[in-house]
Amino acid sequence: MKLPVGLSRRTLLFTGGALAGGGAGFVATPRAGVVPALLRPPGARAEVEFLAACIRCGQCVSACPDDAVRFTGIAAGVHLAAHGTPRIVPREVPCSLCPEYERLQCVAACPTDALRPLADRRDARMGTAWILEERCFAYQGVVCRACWHACPYPGEALALDARLRPVVRAEACTGCGMCEHACLTDEPSVVVAPPGRRPTALPTPEAVR
Amino acid sequence: MIRRVGRSGRARRATALLFLGAIALGGRAEVAWFRGSTTSSEVAGLLRLTDPLAALEVSLASGAALPIGALVGVAILVAVAALLGPVFCGWLCPVGLLLDLQASVRGRVERRLLKRGRKLPEHRAPRELAFAVLGAALGFSWVAGLPAFQLVSPVNLVAWAVAFAVGPALVLVLGVLLLDWIAPRLWCRSLCPLGLVYALLGHFAVLRVRIDRERAGVRPCGHCTVHCPMGLRVMEEYVSAGQQSVRTGTCTRCGACVDACPRGVLSLGFGVPGRRRSATGGVAA
Repeated sequence: MKLPVGLSRRTLLFTGGALAGGGAGFVATPRAGVVPALLRPPGARAEVEFLAACIRCGQCVSACPDDAVRFTGIAAGVHLAAHGTPRIVPREVPCSLCPEYERLQCVAACPTDALRPLADRRDARMGTAWILEERCFAYQGVVCRACWHACPYPGEALALDARLRPVVRAEACTGCGMCEHACLTDEPSVVVAPPGRRPTALPTPEAVR
Repeated sequence: MIRRVGRSGRARRATALLFLGAIALGGRAEVAWFRGSTTSSEVAGLLRLTDPLAALEVSLASGAALPIGALVGVAILVAVAALLGPVFCGWLCPVGLLLDLQASVRGRVERRLLKRGRKLPEHRAPRELAFAVLGAALGFSWVAGLPAFQLVSPVNLVAWAVAFAVGPALVLVLGVLLLDWIAPRLWCRSLCPLGLVYALLGHFAVLRVRIDRERAGVRPCGHCTVHCPMGLRVMEEYVSAGQQSVRTGTCTRCGACVDACPRGVLSLGFGVPGRRRSATGGVAA
């Protein structure tokens, strides 16, 4: 049976487009370790998986009671693949892990399970806090426990050593960023880096106050 | 050429503005009855709607089926498109709204130019071009693992701009608007993959622009063809060809032709036109 002309032209264009798009997609595929590191809301899938599953509707942004989940627009330094996705900037507003709610509000709002429900909030692994000892007051001999006071799981995720200096216990850290938000130095001395990443902020002597 | 913005025109601008307003308020968590944007939203806390193309791209990108809640949201919009046609394009789309508003300006400029015997360019591209765009979007999504069209869709960009005040990317929307001065509705007619998906879904829709055969063809004026944003040859291919209705998924059911018709031949509704039951534009005899 001969296909009507219109249909074959459509099929041809569709196929051609798909091949071209696929080719471009092959070049542009975000790969783990290469994709820009953004802090994601709790329950987020691993970054590459997350970029695929997030439908970019922004419902998690609107649902966050603390306004901690931010919308990522196109801007300098933001990878196009991350456009429309949610992220957390702890120095502005950290994630409180919704203590007053039965469910994490961003997770409950996500239509595509890019953010997945957690059995226990303590299982959230948004990232891990790192202490930049060169800047940290406590490591300079000044008494300061701001991060330890802010940590929702003090003694477990963020402990104090024998000399009362903060130490991160990565296995219990949710990456909520309460410590980074509370840190008293101009540039935070404790920063949350996305899972598997090291903080990009390299400590310089000038940054230490 | 006089652009008539009649009842349908005012109504569809109102619905599109309401939708954009809901996105703006919902994005700022000002209202509880709407949350989300063009790709997926939640209305009144329970009705979850998900754009079919965005859902397809995400499924291809992640290589997994969507959760049941999202699939229900897709099914609702697919059912709406199957019954009513691509009404999203005609009545809700934020880019459609901007182009619609700009068309009024274009009409005025055109009238001025006509007095001096000049015209604005009206280039066209084949409708089938959208198939290539759709193919590219799906191909890219599948291979790259990213919902390709959603990252750059002007429809999303306008929604994000009002909901989350994301500005710079609006350059793309500006491009679409500027393109309109050379080739009217080129975006909707020949490029937008979302519109194409809705057009394909709405091919057999029962809501249609109906043609009153008793009045049709008395003195064909062609206002319907001139006013169709999608560039459909309404008079030539439907009214004068003896059709009962404009039966194509490309028709967005926007009602521009209904507004334009000076003789009340066209009306938007279901089934065969009855003069008293016509939904819009049907002048009571």
